[in-house]
Amino acid sequence: MAQDYRQYAIEEYVLEQEPYYVPIGDEVELFTAAFHQKMPVLLKGPTGCGKTRFIEYMAYSLGSPMTVMRERRDTDGREEAEGLPLVTVACHEDLTASDLVGRYLLEGESTRWIDGPLTRAVKVGAICYLDEIVEARKDTTVLIHPLTDHRRILPIDKLGQIVEASDGFLLVISYNPGYQSALKDIKHSTRQRFMAMEFNYPPPDLESKIIHHESGIDEPTATQLARLGEKVRHLKEHGLSEGVSTRLLIYAGRLMNQGIPARRACQVAIVWALTDDRDVQRSIQEVVTSIFE
Amino acid sequence: MASNNILSPIEEELRALSPALASDFRQAAAIAIRRLSDDELTQWAHSGVTLAHYSWRSWEAASEYFRATPKVLEKLNPNELSEWSRAAVELGEAAPALATAYARSSVACLDHKSVTQVARWAISARRLYRGTWRSASLAVQLLDSGPRLLCDLSAEEADMLVRFIDILGERSYDLANHCLNLMPQVVSSLAPADRKPFLELALTMAQSAWADSRSYVERGATLLDHLQQSQRAKFLALAQSLATQDGQQIYPLYAAGAKALGQVEESNHPYLLVMAEKLADESPVASMEFLKSAPVVLERIYLDALAPWYEFGREILATNREGGEAYFRLESSRSEEVLDALSSRLELNRVGEVLRLYSKALTGVDVSIHPASALTEKGIGWVSTEHASTEGTSIYLPDVVEKYRDKDANFAVYKVFSTHQAGHLEFGSFLFRFDAPGNIFPTERIEKERNGAHDSATDMERFFNLFEERKLASDIFMMVEDTRIDYLLTREYAGIRSAYRHIQEDEVDNRPPMDWMPMRQMAMESLIRASLGSMMEEFFYPGPVAPLVKEAIETMRSVQSTEATVEDSAEATLRIYQILQRIPNVGEEPPPQKGPEERPEDSNERGEGGESEESGEEAPYESPQPVDFRGDFKPELVQLLSRLRDDQEQQNEELLQLTPEQMRELLEKSVEVDVSEEDEESLDQLLENLMKEAEDSPQGDQTTSDESTPEQEQGELPVQPHYYFYDEWDFRANDYKPRWCRIAEFPLKEGSPHFFEQTHRKYSGLVGATRRQFEMLKPELFRKMKHLLDGEDLDLDAAIEFLVEKQAGHTPPGKVYWRRNKIERDVAVVFLLDMSASTDEEIARRERRFQPTGGDSPTDVQPHLYWWANRRMDAAGPPKRIIDLEKESTVLLIKALETIGDAYGIYGFSGYGRENVEFYVIKDLNEEFSERVKSRIDSISPVRSTRMGPAIRHATTKLAANDAKVKILFLLSDGRPQDHGYGRDRTEKDYAIHDTHMALVEAKRKGIVPFCLTVDRYGHDYLKQMCEDLGYAVVADIESLPQRLPMLYRRLTQ
Repeated sequence: MAQDYRQYAIEEYVLEQEPYYVPIGDEVELFTAAFHQKMPVLLKGPTGCGKTRFIEYMAYSLGSPMTVMRERRDTDGREEAEGLPLVTVACHEDLTASDLVGRYLLEGESTRWIDGPLTRAVKVGAICYLDEIVEARKDTTVLIHPLTDHRRILPIDKLGQIVEASDGFLLVISYNPGYQSALKDIKHSTRQRFMAMEFNYPPPDLESKIIHHESGIDEPTATQLARLGEKVRHLKEHGLSEGVSTRLLIYAGRLMNQGIPARRACQVAIVWALTDDRDVQRSIQEVVTSIFE
Repeated sequence: MASNNILSPIEEELRALSPALASDFRQAAAIAIRRLSDDELTQWAHSGVTLAHYSWRSWEAASEYFRATPKVLEKLNPNELSEWSRAAVELGEAAPALATAYARSSVACLDHKSVTQVARWAISARRLYRGTWRSASLAVQLLDSGPRLLCDLSAEEADMLVRFIDILGERSYDLANHCLNLMPQVVSSLAPADRKPFLELALTMAQSAWADSRSYVERGATLLDHLQQSQRAKFLALAQSLATQDGQQIYPLYAAGAKALGQVEESNHPYLLVMAEKLADESPVASMEFLKSAPVVLERIYLDALAPWYEFGREILATNREGGEAYFRLESSRSEEVLDALSSRLELNRVGEVLRLYSKALTGVDVSIHPASALTEKGIGWVSTEHASTEGTSIYLPDVVEKYRDKDANFAVYKVFSTHQAGHLEFGSFLFRFDAPGNIFPTERIEKERNGAHDSATDMERFFNLFEERKLASDIFMMVEDTRIDYLLTREYAGIRSAYRHIQEDEVDNRPPMDWMPMRQMAMESLIRASLGSMMEEFFYPGPVAPLVKEAIETMRSVQSTEATVEDSAEATLRIYQILQRIPNVGEEPPPQKGPEERPEDSNERGEGGESEESGEEAPYESPQPVDFRGDFKPELVQLLSRLRDDQEQQNEELLQLTPEQMRELLEKSVEVDVSEEDEESLDQLLENLMKEAEDSPQGDQTTSDESTPEQEQGELPVQPHYYFYDEWDFRANDYKPRWCRIAEFPLKEGSPHFFEQTHRKYSGLVGATRRQFEMLKPELFRKMKHLLDGEDLDLDAAIEFLVEKQAGHTPPGKVYWRRNKIERDVAVVFLLDMSASTDEEIARRERRFQPTGGDSPTDVQPHLYWWANRRMDAAGPPKRIIDLEKESTVLLIKALETIGDAYGIYGFSGYGRENVEFYVIKDLNEEFSERVKSRIDSISPVRSTRMGPAIRHATTKLAANDAKVKILFLLSDGRPQDHGYGRDRTEKDYAIHDTHMALVEAKRKGIVPFCLTVDRYGHDYLKQMCEDLGYAVVADIESLPQRLPMLYRRLTQ
């Protein structure tokens, strides 16, 4: 049977096409400047507003291939490929220092050290993207401190080594201020090491353009979806902890593109996706039925 | 004359008794002799003599007998006379007074009934006489009312009446007298057909609930007036069947049923009664309850939807009688649900929250939704409770919409209402600025105002100052602006278009006919119809006017553009106003057209316009009928309010503040408020209200629900209780009674913190021990687990060991990893203390009571309390009450809980009846432990009853809102649940236990662990039933409660 999936060594995976990204402001210029100045970047913004897409786009346009976790020795010979390597780590509350830096594994009758994603990125000179940094435990976050100041080094205590970051290395973290609670906030010692860029949902005209492009739905419908997005976002903090993401609007558009009726598409992709609260669901549904016939 | 021979001796005999009697006899005999044969005469006379001889006063009866005879003879033949006489004798035998009354009243009775009937009835009245003077007077009274009764009643009915009075007489003569007094009038007020069932019911009632007879006789007949004439007998029969089954509550149900029917259209009575009759076969109570609920039900659903609701209830009734009765009493959740499903009417409080979020989504500002009545109550110029409106921060909607017979359609009405109001906010209707240019029309306003701006409070006022006829200008502006909003809304929100169009069409259909309107009003009406999308071409205007109307409509339509702003609406108003000014407001025949008006430019002084004076025949302009869905649009007032609010906020800045004079002027001029000029007071009131409204207008969103989350008041002022409603489980009906109990939650008043400290000292040893035990419970946040097959990292020691083993030839298990396990103790607990009166009981006494010999009940607590109070500080251990131990245990528990850091709340509950369940906050779940809490503990004291269900439900609600992983509801009581109305009667225990059980089960369903602890040593029997599979414990040795409680808690949470 033919293999219908393709498997890459992480570093062999290269974005072949430029990711679609519509700049809302000067974020591209800012990021480029930060990259050249080796300045770590903090991306703030609600979920689904395009942070990851932005990083992909930047990795691509800054001239390196984009992968998730690649071994250093395999990167040789791929320098000419377009795009920077991008190592993405989704942070979660059980993420430990070993998960980032590396650990010993048992192999046969001996142990073998294996680099963690952060170490690899440092060695390769990749953009290391720690998504949702607040989810990680505080002791884990401290680990990145030496990397984010003038030193740009990664101490690996278990090996008794220090790795100097290679030139292309850039640490990017993201967090969503929407979730902010006393428990989940970035420590100041951490956050004051980053240049911070705030992201928000694109304004309706841009958003409709994005929806139109990403979902392939016609422009009037894309405009309506963008309007819906705008209205639903008014409900943030009033039943919704987070506004509807551009991603969900695109999903709705895609479903419509597949012939699902508009109201139904919005129901499954937006209303039900956003909340379980019956009243809020009903309210959003009413907004949907007001906008779509 | 033989006759004289017979009569003379008798007369002599009678004279011996009383000369008056003899003379009566002679007079009567003189007449009788002409009609009667000798035998008959003798018999008649002897009857009189017999009568006279019964007792020493009975000659009076005989005298009456003789006196009545001539009149009787006019009506009776001799045969009948003897029957009449026999009755008199018979009655006289019982008591002469009866015979007297009989003789006196029977004459009139004979007009209505045959002598046999009269006689029999009179004799039946004898049964009322029981040998006492009161019974005699009752019987006399009955006989005296004979004529009036017998004229209306059949013989059978009359007999029933006698029996009725008789039964009452057995109970109370006063009552019997009273009823008898009323009866003739009552009976005559009834239709003949209703009399028998009425009396039958009376009879049954007298037997089963005699005390209600008074009310029944007094009001029963009048109550029937509520019913349709033909249905009364049926209703009475229904009540009768109820009475035979359950006589106790017959009158209240009867009265309620009749009154309820009075609220239903008469033509529906037969239909309802047929339904009720069918129910009566199953349960007469249910049938009456059904009638009782009918008006409430019919208010919510249409008549044709009644049948399904009724059938559903009948099915329940067939399987579960109590359930069915509760269903028809509307005391069942299922009944509510079915009603709700069948009802097409929509209440604001059901959809308010949805509409609030919806409006918030549309506008992006924090609007709140309130019933329109809330706005009128504020007294700030709005008066209509029927129309939607907004005052800039909230949207006001009518309480109920039942325009259509379909819930969705009614919701669409609400939606269109709120969308339109939200549209005013979204598209800036109230942001009108006089100086700002519009996008469509060139600005003419400023030019118009060239004679110098008059000082005005708001931009809106400044604009309206341009017009002589403010009312017309205001009407035009509202219409144009509404048109603009409608257009923008239907353009922005494609989905609402169809609903919008539907409602607009309905509005057009409901517009008043234009035929008789004066011309200008007609033009205005045309404009409104055009704005609603109606095509006006069909209407004919006289030649010169037609193009004007057309022009006005076109001007109005030009604001139907996405570009248009509220300033454009104003410009359009200006233009339309000028056009309409050229149309004279005359009826029928349009006069020859006048040239364009020379209008004074400076129009800021009010005055009813020169034009109307010029042409005397012009009718004064009247505003058109408002368009329902557009609601009340008051831009001037809203702007004023918002200006006031701004002023309020910037009080300290040197901004030009509005003076009351300015406001007064605005309000006087404005056509949006209805203040007559003389009415200074109402204007002042309005001003004051407006100021107040501006002051305390919160921008925040308030929900419409009456159960808004209570904020813990921190002030020292007595706290208003927050009310909550809970269902109650009726195990007989197998259903909930909806919103049955009302809980009032308020913090317990504060006593002194002394008690807390004192207890703490007293139990210092125990406190220490408890705390240590609890400290051991406190987990480290992360515990390193070793020897795992998989983990965060290699455990070097284990790895080396592993290798060593392996080298040595063993095959060790590869458990060489370690991992940190996050262990969080995340517990929230609510303690519910029973503060019922029974906790007042002294423990020592209680113990005694449990001894086999101790049969006396502890009724005499007072002296002991006194004694106890004096010896409270006695170290020898004064007698304690249960409540004291509850208090002490609470103190210890708090100590322990503070050590371990669990979230906890302590509440007491008591109350009386379902409306007054009291829920005292000693420490709220989210409250920090403080001196206040300490002080509150001191005032824990016995109050009244124990209605556990609602208290548990309320505690459950509190816990459910907490997001701890483990939630515990700990109920501490001293006995079974008990309350007024908590069960069929005071002695019934099952109902309360079932409800409590259900409340505990509900808690469990919400992921809460309920646990009941009782100090009632006989608690096992009911706790077993109440808690079934849930946890419970009985602390038989009450004194050990302070030790036991923390331990139990520890065990529960470990």
